[in-house]
Formats: sequence, structure tokens, C-alpha cells
Amino acid sequence: MISVESLSKKYGGLNVLDLQELTIPKGEIFGLIGNNGAGKTTFFSLLLDLIESTSGTVLINEINVQKSEVWKPFTSAFIDESYLIGYLTVEEYYHFIGALRGMTKEEVDAFVVPFEPFFNSEVLNQKKYLRDFSKGNQKKAGIIGALIGHPELVILDEPFANLDPTTQIRLKNILKEEAKKHGTTFLISSHDLTHVTEVCERIVLLEKGVILKDIKTTASTLKELENYFSN
Amino acid sequence: MPITVKQSFSLSKKKFFRAPQWELKLAARIFIGFLILYFLVAFLALGVALFFIIRKIFPDQEPVSVVNQWILYFFAIDFLSRYFIQNPPVTDVKSFLLQPITKIQIVRRVMFRSLTSFFNFIPLIVLLPFCVVVSKENGLTLNLWIWFLGILTLSGVSNFLIFLINKNRNVALGIFVFIVGGYLSETYLKSPIIPYVSSAFDKLYSQPLWVGLLLILFSLIWYLTQQFLKSQLYLDKGLSKKKERIIGSKLYFLDRWGVIGVLLKNDIRLIIRNIRARQVVLMGFLFLFYGLIFFTQDIYKENPTTLIFAGIFVTGGFMTTFGQYVPAWDSEYYSLLMGQNLPYIDYLKSKLYLLMFSVVVCSILSLPYLYFGKNTMLIILASGVFNFGFGSLLNLFSGAYNATPMRLNVKAKAFENTQGFNITQMLFALPKLVLPVIIFYIFNLLIDFNAGIIALSMVGVLAFFMKNYLLRQVEKIYQAKKYETLAAFNKNKI
Repeated sequence: MISVESLSKKYGGLNVLDLQELTIPKGEIFGLIGNNGAGKTTFFSLLLDLIESTSGTVLINEINVQKSEVWKPFTSAFIDESYLIGYLTVEEYYHFIGALRGMTKEEVDAFVVPFEPFFNSEVLNQKKYLRDFSKGNQKKAGIIGALIGHPELVILDEPFANLDPTTQIRLKNILKEEAKKHGTTFLISSHDLTHVTEVCERIVLLEKGVILKDIKTTASTLKELENYFSN
Repeated sequence: MPITVKQSFSLSKKKFFRAPQWELKLAARIFIGFLILYFLVAFLALGVALFFIIRKIFPDQEPVSVVNQWILYFFAIDFLSRYFIQNPPVTDVKSFLLQPITKIQIVRRVMFRSLTSFFNFIPLIVLLPFCVVVSKENGLTLNLWIWFLGILTLSGVSNFLIFLINKNRNVALGIFVFIVGGYLSETYLKSPIIPYVSSAFDKLYSQPLWVGLLLILFSLIWYLTQQFLKSQLYLDKGLSKKKERIIGSKLYFLDRWGVIGVLLKNDIRLIIRNIRARQVVLMGFLFLFYGLIFFTQDIYKENPTTLIFAGIFVTGGFMTTFGQYVPAWDSEYYSLLMGQNLPYIDYLKSKLYLLMFSVVVCSILSLPYLYFGKNTMLIILASGVFNFGFGSLLNLFSGAYNATPMRLNVKAKAFENTQGFNITQMLFALPKLVLPVIIFYIFNLLIDFNAGIIALSMVGVLAFFMKNYLLRQVEKIYQAKKYETLAAFNKNKI
């Protein structure tokens, strides 16, 4: 799904990201962890062609994201609140995203119905604008927005942050189910080691822009990561 | 410990100098400073001249008494303007709540700050010179200065009454009805409602002791406001966000235009649901009246070239005020748009159509200018065609160079409208305004008026037929500047 080759990003001579090689196969739930400043968001921004790489390329389905835009129809992301349009209601926002993905209003409405337990009756039919939502509900709205139209690749930055425990558990189930049913590839970053090890099949640990660990998740992964971070 | 003036000033200073692009803001402030100075001088001059004007028009009446007849209207309009514009300056109150400052101190700070509002200075800077002149011409009297004090006190009462009625629509409506009704009854029925109230002001002048009543009223209002604001210092009361009504949720008619329709729908919602956008659009609407300044004056009849300016403004008001902030309008969620299945060209097309549509609407709305003659109308229509075909594209082109992010739902304060203030944008104003004038000027000079009109229109028509090609060129610039724009838009994210 994604292949990255000698990708680097420098700001004023300082290496923020330096990835020699990274390949993410289709259908994988891929976790990215690392302390602040490790380069997680920079990596996501490079994948989405939101910043220019200093060197190297990103290929999504063999498409160079800097050269062509045909990766956009099957890719989506929710990085932060700037992925929401504050002056729309959730429904209007979903219809907008859906329309850009070639879906009708009715299709979009039908799509979001199964997510009602996740929304916990706090997102749909609220009669208020997205900018007036609480942080947690904005996050819920954004995550489901990124799933509209079953894109092949979904990138989520810190999806568990700001969510209440029940919703966190429901989110884990949604991610697993989407990956199983539709073969969706997920890229998830998180500071919550428990959630990442539970949901992701593979975890990459970044530090100062470099890959330190690239592990298939097993029963001992959580311990291993906790040991790493406590030093 | 109370916040001292020094601390408060130091906070404001940091806020200013640490803001992005503060040098530009400083330049804008200096410019605005001159504007304020201009108004100040104008009002002072009015105050000085007022006495002589009154003496000339109403030679057998006491000047103060004439002012008294009008002062009621002044207060009514003053009150209504305050109702719509003035808000208690409570924005930064939240951060003080947990500091070791008493609530009363916070409230008093807010109240004192509200007294520095522009509205409270109008009576001061107009009536102070007036009273000085009256004292000089008619002799110094205590009555006059107590009357002056009384008027200022009333202005203060009006200032705090706004807080107390707290956006109560009925009160505003009542005052509006009072003004209109009072005016109508006076002009048509000769009924003495207004003179009756005016005589109260005369009484204040003749029997200065009445000022005591005003001072008591002021103290009462001050006390009530203090108690009221204190009771509002809770996150779920005065400091809570007002719940907004959803407007513009239908708009289904735009669905038939596919992706462009979807984007247009967003733009319409953007305009009607965001304070900043509404302000800008209102400005664009006001440009419709710009022609009245030019078309009413005979000097310009001889010199049609100057009138092209007016034509460009009248038909392109919205186009310029809105268009110069494309793509900044979408700065809050530009990353989202860039990652969506949305070709740049469609995005630009939707904006272009919106601008073109606005030119059509403004041109239709300016039809009443036909009153000023056929040539005036021709000038407006030719400018309209120019704006429709070429001006709209030019605005999108200039927008590519404007990477100052826009905070949509934040009100720009009067005299502080520097969001997106930008030297490049000012440079781009040249082709937008000067180019059509030059085109018309040359053809008008070499051939005749009609040739000028035709040439100006032709530029618009030509650009319209080349619009796909031209838009592609504009798109290339947007593409090339994409990362730069994104970085600028995301820089100030908090």
C-alpha cells in the first residue's frame, strides 16, 4: 500500500525525519509511536503531501504523492480539528466529504447509521456547528468522517486522545472490523501503548526521526515498549 | 492584588509585538492612527462650528436650547448603535478568574474599560469645544458646564444600560419605534412628544440642580451593572458561548451542479455563518453606494474616466472584498481540502463562479443608477462586464499570493481590520483598479466615449472566453505555492 524510500525532512539543517525504507502492506493496522518530536506528524504530513520532503519519495499504491493526485480518491485522514469544517453541522460535513467521494446524501446517511453506538447520541442531529462541539465529540465526528466511502488507506493521528474509555474501546472494535471487512489499511499514531499494542498488528517506534524498532505485535510487545519508554 | 494599569499595558504590549507580522500591523496602526486623528479633528471642528451654525440658522434661539432639541435623537441613535456594536469587553476575563483578584475588581476593570469606548468620546469631543465657544461668546456660566456634565453622565448611563438590557430585542425595538414615531409625529402631527422631552434638557440647563438626579441615576446604573456582571462571571453564564441557530441548511438547489455545487454550498454557508465573512460581505454591499459620491457631482460628468473607478467599485465590491481572501477563507481547514479527492481546478472554479455571480447581482442592483443618465449606466455595465470576465480571474490570481490565515468566526474590531492586511494585496489593487481606467482612457481619448466602453467590455468578454485557459494558469500558481500556503495557514494553529 505504502512504500517509502530514503525519505527525509530537514528544518534548518536539523533532521526531523529520516526513514531509510518502510513498506506497509495493504490491510495492515500499522501503529506509530514515539515521544513528542519523534516525527510522527511530519511523517503523516509527508504521506498526505502537505509538506515537501527534503529528499526521497512516498508511493501510495505505486503513485508518487508529490507527482500525481490520483492517490486522493482512496486515501483519507483525520489529523486534528483543522480536518473539520467548523461552520458546518456534522451531517453537512459528512455530505460534503461524501460528495467529494462520489456518494449521494442518502448513501452517506445510511453509511453513518451503524456508528450510532460509537457516537453515543452526542454527534448526529445535534443542531449545532462542529466548532461548538466538545473536543471529544469533534474527534468522534472526524474519525468517522475519515471512514466515509471506505477509503483503502486511513491515517489517524492520536485517535484515542480526548475520547472517554467506552468510546476508546468501541473505536478499537471499529478499526479492527473495518480492516477485516474492507481490507482498510490504517496508520495510527498514539501515546497510549496499551491501545496500540491491542489494535495494531505492527508497531514502529520512532525517535528523533529515525526508526528504532519495527515489531510484529505479540503478547510481550507491551512489556517491551514499556521498558523502552521507562528508560 | 489588583491588576495595575502597568501590568495590563504590558500584557497588551506583548500581545501586539509577539503577533505574527507585527511590523505590518504597526504600519497599519500608524495609518489608522492618522485616520482617527482626522476624525478627531473633524469632530472638534464640528464642535467649534456648531455654535456659529446654530446662531446663523436660529438667530433668535438660545444655542444650548437648539442642541437640546436634537440631543434626544443623538442619544437614541447612540443607544441603537451601541446595542448592535458594543459588547462588554469580557474576552480575557476567563484567565483572571483563578488569579488572586476579587470578582469586584475584575468587574470594575471591565466597566472602566467599557467607558473608553468610542461612543463615550463623541459627546465629549463635540460638546467640549461647543461649550468652550459658548462660554467665550456668551459669557462663562456654571449652568452651561453643569449641563455638559449632565450630558456626559447620560452617555455613561447609556453605556451601562446596554449591559443591563443584555441584547433584549424588545428594548431596542421600542427605542427604534420611539425615534421614528417621534420624528413622524413631530413633522406631520406637530405633536409635542419630542419637545416635551427636550424641555427636560432645557430644565437641566436652567435649573442645574437637576444634575443631581442624573448623578443618582448613574450611580444606580453603575451599581446594578456591577452586580449584574458579577453574577455573570461564571462559565455557564456570561462567559458561556451563545448557542447559535443553524441557518442555511437547505440549499438543495445547488446539488445539481456536482462538485462545484457542493463547494458553492460551503461558500454560502461560510458567508452566512461566520462573523468575519458577514462583515466583509456587508462591506462589499456598501460599495454599491459608492457611485453616489461620483455620479451626483457635475465635475465628473466632463471626465468619464474617473467614473470608471466608481463603476469598478459598484459592480465589483463583493468580488474584491471576498475575492482577495481566497484561499484564506478556507485557511482553517486547508489541510483537509488538500487531502480530499478535489482537484484544484474545481476548487478555483467554484470560487470563480461565486465571484462572477456576485458581479451579475451587483450589476442588476446598480440599475437604479440609470437615474443619472445613459452614459452613467453604460459605464457601470462596461465595468461590470470587465469585472465579470477579467476582474474575477484577477482576484483569484492575487489570492494565490495571500497566505495570511483568516479566523472566520472572530469579529474584526473597528479600526483594527488588519487581518490579511498585506502589501502584495495592495499592489494587486493596481491592476484591478488602474487597468480598466487606462483601457477606457486610451480609447476615449483616441476615438470616443463609446469606443472606450466597447474596449473595456471586450477585455471582459475576451477573458470570459479564455477563462479555462487562464484558470489553468492560475491553478499552476496555486499548485506551486501549495506547501508555502499550507505552512502559513497552519502556523498559527493553537
